[in-house]
Amino acid sequence: MKNSNIFLSGFVVISLFLSSCAEGLEDLDGNPRNITQEQLEVDFQNVGSLYKPMFENIYQYTPPWSFQLQQNLNADVFSGYMTNPRPFVAGANNTTYNLVSGWNNFIWSVPYSNVMNNAKTIENETRETFPELFAVSQILKVTAMHRVSDVFGPIVYTKFGESATTSEYDSQEEAYNAFFADLEEAIQILSDNIDSPRFAAFDLAYGGNYENWIKYANALRLRLAIRISKVAPTKAQSEGEKSLNHPVGLIEANPDGFFVNGTLDHPVRTINNSWGDIRMNASMESILVGYEDPRVGSYFNTSEVEEGVYKGVRNGLPLLPGYDDELAQKADYVTFSLLADEVLTPRVQLMAAAEVFFLKAEAGLRGWTGAGDVQGNYEQGITTSFQQYGLGGISDYVSNGTRTPMDYVDPVTPGNSINALSTITIAWDDAATNEEKLERIITQKWIALFPEGQEAWSEYRRTGYPKIFPVVSNQSGGVVDTDLQIRRIPFVDSELQTNPDGVADAVTKLGGPDNAGTRLWWDVPGGNF
Amino acid sequence: MKRTILVFSVLLALLMTQQVKAQEKTISGTVTSTGENAMPLPGVNVIVKGTAKGAQTDFDGKYTITASAGDVLEFSYVGLTTISVTVGASDIIDVAMEENLEQLDDVVVTALGIAKSRKSLTYAAQDINADELNKVRQTNPVNSLSGKVSGVVVNRSSSGAGGSVKVTLRGNASLGNNQPLYVIDGVPLSNPTGGQPLDTFGDINGGNRDGGDVLSLINPDDIESLTVLKGASASALYGSAGLNGVILITTKKGRAGSFKVEASSNLLVESAAYYIDLNDEAESNIKDFFNNGVTNINAVSLSGGSEKAQTYFSYSNTFASGILPTNKMSQHTINIRENAQFFDGVLTASANVLASTQTIDNRPVSGLYFNPLVGAYNFDSPGERLSDYENFEELDPDRNIQSQRWFRATSDIEQNPYWILNRNASEDTNRKLLASMNLKFKINDWISVQSRGTYDQTFLNYEKKVHATTEATLAPANGRYIFTEQDIRQLYGDVIATINKQFNTISLSANVGTSTTRTTVELLNADSGTNGGLQFANVFSIQNFNANPQVSLFQSSLDKKVNSIFASATIGFNEKVFVDLTARNDWSSSLPSSNNSYFYPSAGITGILTEIFDMGEKISFAKIRGSYAQVGNDVPANTVFPERQILFGGGLSPLDPVRPLGEVRPEQQSSFEIGTEWRFFDNRFGFDIGYYHTSTVDQYFQVPVSTGTGSVTVGVNSGDIINEGFEASIFVTPVQTGNFKWTSNINFAANDNEVQEISNPSDDVQIDNQVISPPGVNTFASYLVEGGQYGDIYAQVVKRDANGRPVVDAGAIVINDENPDNTIAGLEKVGNANPDFTLGWNNTMTYKNISLDFLIDGKFGGETISMTEAIVEGLSNNTQRETENALIEVVSPTGDVSTLTAQEYYGLAGGRNGFTGEYVYSATNVRLAEIALGYNFQLSENSFFRSIKASLIGNNLFFFYKDAPHDPNVTLSTGNALQGVDVLGLPSTRSWGLNVNLSF
Repeated sequence: MKNSNIFLSGFVVISLFLSSCAEGLEDLDGNPRNITQEQLEVDFQNVGSLYKPMFENIYQYTPPWSFQLQQNLNADVFSGYMTNPRPFVAGANNTTYNLVSGWNNFIWSVPYSNVMNNAKTIENETRETFPELFAVSQILKVTAMHRVSDVFGPIVYTKFGESATTSEYDSQEEAYNAFFADLEEAIQILSDNIDSPRFAAFDLAYGGNYENWIKYANALRLRLAIRISKVAPTKAQSEGEKSLNHPVGLIEANPDGFFVNGTLDHPVRTINNSWGDIRMNASMESILVGYEDPRVGSYFNTSEVEEGVYKGVRNGLPLLPGYDDELAQKADYVTFSLLADEVLTPRVQLMAAAEVFFLKAEAGLRGWTGAGDVQGNYEQGITTSFQQYGLGGISDYVSNGTRTPMDYVDPVTPGNSINALSTITIAWDDAATNEEKLERIITQKWIALFPEGQEAWSEYRRTGYPKIFPVVSNQSGGVVDTDLQIRRIPFVDSELQTNPDGVADAVTKLGGPDNAGTRLWWDVPGGNF
Repeated sequence: MKRTILVFSVLLALLMTQQVKAQEKTISGTVTSTGENAMPLPGVNVIVKGTAKGAQTDFDGKYTITASAGDVLEFSYVGLTTISVTVGASDIIDVAMEENLEQLDDVVVTALGIAKSRKSLTYAAQDINADELNKVRQTNPVNSLSGKVSGVVVNRSSSGAGGSVKVTLRGNASLGNNQPLYVIDGVPLSNPTGGQPLDTFGDINGGNRDGGDVLSLINPDDIESLTVLKGASASALYGSAGLNGVILITTKKGRAGSFKVEASSNLLVESAAYYIDLNDEAESNIKDFFNNGVTNINAVSLSGGSEKAQTYFSYSNTFASGILPTNKMSQHTINIRENAQFFDGVLTASANVLASTQTIDNRPVSGLYFNPLVGAYNFDSPGERLSDYENFEELDPDRNIQSQRWFRATSDIEQNPYWILNRNASEDTNRKLLASMNLKFKINDWISVQSRGTYDQTFLNYEKKVHATTEATLAPANGRYIFTEQDIRQLYGDVIATINKQFNTISLSANVGTSTTRTTVELLNADSGTNGGLQFANVFSIQNFNANPQVSLFQSSLDKKVNSIFASATIGFNEKVFVDLTARNDWSSSLPSSNNSYFYPSAGITGILTEIFDMGEKISFAKIRGSYAQVGNDVPANTVFPERQILFGGGLSPLDPVRPLGEVRPEQQSSFEIGTEWRFFDNRFGFDIGYYHTSTVDQYFQVPVSTGTGSVTVGVNSGDIINEGFEASIFVTPVQTGNFKWTSNINFAANDNEVQEISNPSDDVQIDNQVISPPGVNTFASYLVEGGQYGDIYAQVVKRDANGRPVVDAGAIVINDENPDNTIAGLEKVGNANPDFTLGWNNTMTYKNISLDFLIDGKFGGETISMTEAIVEGLSNNTQRETENALIEVVSPTGDVSTLTAQEYYGLAGGRNGFTGEYVYSATNVRLAEIALGYNFQLSENSFFRSIKASLIGNNLFFFYKDAPHDPNVTLSTGNALQGVDVLGLPSTRSWGLNVNLSF
């Protein structure tokens, strides 16, 4: 073999190599296991696939630890519904007003990442072409975002997605005005397309029934109107009366309530049953057991610590003297009452029919047209709530004028025991003052809203009812008044870091320091009337 | 690209047409080394004395030169004694050159496997031979570099045998990879990891685990030498992969004419050595809990061959049991290499296959999830011993199942440690297959072309079987099964033309080449999850998953290709001054096609002072060097246009993935280095000292933006991170008598890092910091902050009054608020994980047949946090100071003084999310890293054996100085996160052993 032949064969090898080397680079990048925009458009999933995450993240289903931070370790405790038996962070946590900013980021990020963002995409893709799909998305968006505003005050809403890196906040008043406008538009669009079947495949609440969506939107508008009834009574009345007098009406029957029929377990079920991280709150025990309310058995199990007895935990527990560590303290308090499985089904309650009757009762008290009889609505609210859980004995309960919230005894740490803060009874008293009437209405609404702590905490702040127990340990450094309790949560770290100018402007719009003691716009001090 | 190929082909063709013209009298011959392993010597300079005529030997040691009878030929080669021969009647002159006693002046393998004489290098390179590497055997050969090469910072993983290693050369610069490139015989090695831990809490999907690296899959006995190219000048030819420096591994080859069998066996016994300060009872429980670990490494190799073909074959196995009960590792490695010459040496072909398999049971984890040490350290049950719970399960008659038993209720982080080890067991199976081929054509005496191809496959498998009745946070009622499989393939090919030519007094050594690297990764992950669960308890298979969206099933694919052309030239002027130039252009598929090409050059110069000036007898050698290099870098695959992820049974990932804010550009690093090297008194003493400065700009950062934008993070090119420092190595032979010799090496390096910029002022989005270790829910984090340093660590600090007393308010310690400029999200800067300087002192003493080696390894400066201690004090009263329970003075915010007991105070300060600022220690440490006492048996002339050597070895024996309760040289992650913190990592061990080497 001649050398030249060897070289020739060598060059053949080399040229083969070089030609493979010259192959295009353009098409290699990208993970083919993910989905492209083009693939998403098949079956209109570019829109349809966006609804499920919206439904399942207003009140986040999964992962449960994320919901624990989104709501369970703030509003669910602040509302007097539940308490964590374990004093996280050696007792220096949200529940003792030593706010853990790393936790509270989730209150903000979960709805923005999963609801607001999807709503924006849906708006871009459907507003002109399939307006009824856009309308449902708007109702879900208001459902999620009024809760965020009720935690922080100013939020990014009308100017969402307008800039690539920073964003401008709306004041809470601007946000609420936008909620009303969005609901109005959605109700109008759905009324015009009431028979369209287009949403059925993606609907986790009403199976595509737009009439129910309109009833819910009306009820939600009434909820928001009542919320601003002290700070903006004229606007409140005009928005509230639109709902009260709407031809399609409001949610007034239990099957029409707004529940998300999720495909996953109720998040609190894991936190309650598997982790033992949440238990009955002492305020719940005081009111439900004091009233001998049959709903107590639907909401809670009897405790281990006192066999056969419902036992709640005081909120705001520090690392108590005598305990070496969090786990030792938890070991004692985890034996208090669990939440019952009956309220922890995969069907997450966001608005039950009973709430609407209590809203109407208050609207009546405020003299709004179309609200109906105050006492009638109050009693219908209780009745509807009892029926929701299939309970009897309604008339005895409604007419009981003697039972009151009872004193609380902590069997593990007697120093935590506390006397009941109110003597409000159940039976309607038409001769009572408006303030007493409102306490009665809100106390019953509070029971009916369970376990949705976010709405209960908002209404507690607005009205001061029911009178729930203060924290055992207040570690806010004087920022939060123990008796007035926590009013809001400061703007989140991720926003402070990425959007400092936006947050500075939001603090101006808040109208007070960015801390947990500052009242929101709708949170007006003084009497309710 | 097409045009470049054309240019390249034309160039090759031009070179080929050139022929050496015959002269009147042509003299040829072969130059070899002397001794039993005589080898042809390439690159020897041959000159006709008194004329400008010169030649160099080729790859086979052959040369031709024209000369007349009576001329004197001078053969010179760095490190060898120069030989002069007078030309006589014969046309053939073969020469054998003797090596100098000191082998410091030999050939160094540089980038792409190109051999260069050490003196011509314009940058710092330090090498270490097999003997030095394997004196004290490590399961991962890279561990042996610590202290032996200046500027190499080695941190070994806390995950025991088979664990990965973090190597840092000249500081950290990147948010991505900071590890050097490993190169085997000139070809880049694919060194993926199965993942590294990120945060201090731990990974709920199996614990904070070390995914391992590929280096532990290589048999250290196959390594002939390691060369460390520290800076970008040295590694510029490797392109972006060599950005952080290169470690070149040269493996053993068969040699012509000598048949050799070598066998070695190594037995090491290790024990847990460095704990936190526990009380007597807790310490005795822990000591009972840990075992003595045993590591047994056996290796055998055969090598030999003829002039035309040589073979090397080796097999090794490793069996190790760790100090953690049930932790075991077994490994087998086979390596075969064939070299053959064809057509009278015109074509040299070689092929190499390396196959390795490794199984690790219960690789230790750090952090809080699935970590048996949580329960072991915090066990505190009056009247009971931890060993009482070695019976970790009992029958639960309600379920008819064996359920976990523990002295108190289990929690997300605390379970019976024996239960975790036996019923939350994990298994890692890693395999490597590396097949390569190399064809080299010798076109004429001074041109050759070689082509190499490598198929490099790494297979990483991880399985965890979590039995029913495991703590509910970690697994649902029926248990949990995790299965991960990664298949990583790298195809590499190159063609390089090499020219070695002497033009009168000017020597030219040049390379022109092209290469392509294609990497594909296929990942399959199946996890029944913490809520999804299994249908039937304790059956671990994917078909037993509950069909719901809370189980995780996903696949991921990645495909990336980088094409390159490159050229380099080393021009020598009279063997006195050398100029080195390189250029490379890369095209990467991970960059946008409009911007996917990037070019970078390097230039260096060195002058051999002893050749230029007459410096007298005492100075044997002196040179100065300087170089400048730029290196470009692409971004990881699937970064520029990422698609949305589908969640199993759960629709789409909630938000769009990170997208670039503008157009993505390649990253750039520029570096500059100078140095000088001196040797005195016949090489009895010498030093090498260097300074470097590197600046890394335009890194692809992920930047969080306001959630109100519709994104969470965007990608931008930004930042400027500076590293500068000094490196020095000194060698000396203090004593050299007939029978006794003592040689000593000192290696010093200091690196100073500065984060010059995080955001460029012109960027659309400005940020203050980049997260290196996310704080998560614990009080430890690491951030890159403008004006700060890479590796700064942040902790929660106690507020103190003017007298240093802690401020306590309403039963809680108050967080310090007096240092807001150095505080991020409530955590304050308390130190830096990296040492200010490192110092290694390596010694060899020989007396007749006895040798003693010891290595003292020191790291000075830097801080480390013992979150382990914080956790133990938060969860129990098991530390010594809590048991002693002295009183601690504290003040209220208004200044009222009171006292707390140590149990009360550390109960408040401790915990994973407590005041970690109370647990900061200096990371400075000086240790006796290695010791080996060897004996070379005296063998008779006709012995069956060539040599027998036995040594007693010790590893990590004790610290001359250490402040931290743990060993700061051990890291929880060999990635970037979790530096400067210990969170229940496996205690560092000391080991003793015996090593026997046979050669016959």
